[in-house]
Amino acid sequence: MMSTVYGTDQENLLEIRNLSIRYRTRRGELRAVEDATLLVKPGESVAIIGESGSGKTTLISAIVRMLPLNARLATGTMRYRTAADSLVHLDTATEREMRPLRWKEIVMVFQASQSSFNPVSRIYTQFLDTARAHNPAARTSDVMDRSRKLLELVALDGEKVLHSFPHELSGGMKQRTLIALGLLLEPRLIILDEPTTALDLLTQKKILKILRSLRDQYRFGMVFVTHDLGIVSRLADRVVVMYAGSIVEDAPWEEFYQDPKHPYSQGLIRAVPKLTTAIEKLYSIPGTTPDLVEKIQGCPFAPRCPFRMEICTRENPPLLPVALGRSAACHLLKEDSSESTP
Amino acid sequence: MIGKGSLPVFIAGKLLKVVFTVWIVTTLIFFLIRLMPSNPIERYIQSLVVQYGMTYEESSARASALFAIDLEANLFSQYLDYLSGAIRLDFGTSFLSPGVPVTAIIAARLPWTLFTVGMGLLFAFALGIVLGALAAYRRDAWWEPVVSGTSSFLSAVPDFLIAIFLILLFGVFTWGGRGSIVPIFQLRGNYGPGVTPGWNWAFLRSVWGHGFVPILTYFFSQIGIWVLLMKGSTTSCLNSDYATIARARGLRPEKILRSYIGRNAMLPIATEFAMRLGFILGGSLIIEQLFVYQGLGLELLKATSNRDYPLMQAIFLVMTVAIVLSNLFAELLYGVLDPRIRQEGKGPHG
Ligand SMILES: Nc1ncnc2c1ncn2[C@@H]1O[C@H](COP(=O)(O)OP(=O)(O)O)[C@@H](O)[C@H]1O
Ligand SMILES: [Mg+2]
Repeated sequence: MMSTVYGTDQENLLEIRNLSIRYRTRRGELRAVEDATLLVKPGESVAIIGESGSGKTTLISAIVRMLPLNARLATGTMRYRTAADSLVHLDTATEREMRPLRWKEIVMVFQASQSSFNPVSRIYTQFLDTARAHNPAARTSDVMDRSRKLLELVALDGEKVLHSFPHELSGGMKQRTLIALGLLLEPRLIILDEPTTALDLLTQKKILKILRSLRDQYRFGMVFVTHDLGIVSRLADRVVVMYAGSIVEDAPWEEFYQDPKHPYSQGLIRAVPKLTTAIEKLYSIPGTTPDLVEKIQGCPFAPRCPFRMEICTRENPPLLPVALGRSAACHLLKEDSSESTP
Repeated sequence: MIGKGSLPVFIAGKLLKVVFTVWIVTTLIFFLIRLMPSNPIERYIQSLVVQYGMTYEESSARASALFAIDLEANLFSQYLDYLSGAIRLDFGTSFLSPGVPVTAIIAARLPWTLFTVGMGLLFAFALGIVLGALAAYRRDAWWEPVVSGTSSFLSAVPDFLIAIFLILLFGVFTWGGRGSIVPIFQLRGNYGPGVTPGWNWAFLRSVWGHGFVPILTYFFSQIGIWVLLMKGSTTSCLNSDYATIARARGLRPEKILRSYIGRNAMLPIATEFAMRLGFILGGSLIIEQLFVYQGLGLELLKATSNRDYPLMQAIFLVMTVAIVLSNLFAELLYGVLDPRIRQEGKGPHG
């Protein structure tokens, strides 16, 4: 049995430990992320899945410190190891300290990025702006050449796209352009929030293929949120399941898919007959997610859990190792972790 | 961009629309003012009776000698006369100042209105967009509710109330026994009695002294709306995806504010400004009356109370043309500023 959640023989690119994030709302503080721990190795790709409102967007926005104004980091630490091998404390970094990291080290592609580009300027100015923000001496021709090459890598006509206005590009083209822009400064971590939602099936497939080949070519670390288990299976090394702000399971994809440990994960996997169906549509566990403003007694999943025990309504189970490289937060598993399923 | 071949067609189409609109409006005006009760001769007779105590017969005789117009003539032939003159830019002579072309009257009055309303609008616009952008950008600052609240209040107060308030504040109240801020005579007329119009210091100073409070009135009646418009526009741009992504790309806040938020927030505002330019002339009636400011608005009021048809027609025409042209200008400006409009009507690629 390991003493920590994961083996740490290899140095982590990103280490989030015991992170809690609260939103100030009219009704009181909303616990959007509770005690989350997430480690990402260089070149590793991690998928985050879970119902809407489970805190996925909040968690990944915190990494680049781009949370809404009413959010605060309540507890925990976030550390990032830069290309120059220095450790940055993301949780305490100021806006000024974050700026050089953004897009240079960590790229965050937000959801619904259909209007990610300034509508009044051509695409190339937005590539140039990005390059200049990090290197004021960047030469226009160098940036243009590199941008063109990257756009061709995502199967676009580089020259044409660079001289287009955003509204001249289709949704899928914009998304691919944004991915190309994401690679401009050769980041080591790319975070994507539902990168294929709102795109048609064909475009989704294309984007997926592009992301895969880019990852193999550039070996950046990746954290992405999706509702599509098909994407998880083709892109993720590891999967993290969130429920009501907590990470309830963290496992390598193959093992997770064969044998989900947490009752919520089991519900997810069983509800999805094929890898191509979205989680949201088929989610069939009865009951609803708890109100995050109220302090939750015990396990947040307890009210919906088919295996609920007495302890579940009293104590919230911590995320603990359940097998080599796997962890889950469930009292059943803690009681007897030798059994593979509860 | 509009294809090179279609540009002249495009412009011609727009101009045709302008001419058509102006024609419709002037026609309406021509008939409407003649539908108003009373007519110039009656008005003149009345004024002689009231002011000089003449008998009705005496007054009528004097009036018919003075007015070289035939109000009994067929309305439609009058209209054709008017139209054929207007096409040659001949708008006739004033009824009340016989022999004086109405164009000369307008040329004498127009600059004063342009000066006061224009200055008011310009200052209100300049300060309004700065305050509006700041209020949006610093919405957590203590002064933000003050700015927004004052703006909402000002935008709701009718302009003549602002004028009356300013007249009281500057010209009537005495402050600690020192007399009023602006001598009351400066709140009437365009310039003082002792100065000769021209490019001399005394005249310019007098013009400024007399124009100051009217300009301030226009300023206060306009500033609220610009602050609110700019604040709304900037807020929506601040919350836009492209502003968020620009920040995620590590761009400096100044750069984001200038190239990403500012330019987009200004799109609707610039258009609004261009459109409001057209209302410069129409918005001055009551204010010019309150300040007895000899501008186009006051002239229109006088012309209307005397039923000086040619003068009324010409002033209304000038106001109409200003509005129609500024609308056209706004439309073209939007096309220049916004690439999405610029390429309208063209295929998705080009
Ligand atoms: N700006 C905000 N203010 C208050 N509550 C928020 C805000 N953003 C998100 N939330 C709440 O935080 C919880 C987590 O939201 P989010 O991270 O967007 O979840 P997900 O991405 O998994 O759908 C939800 O209950 C949501 O309503
Ligand atoms: Mg989300």
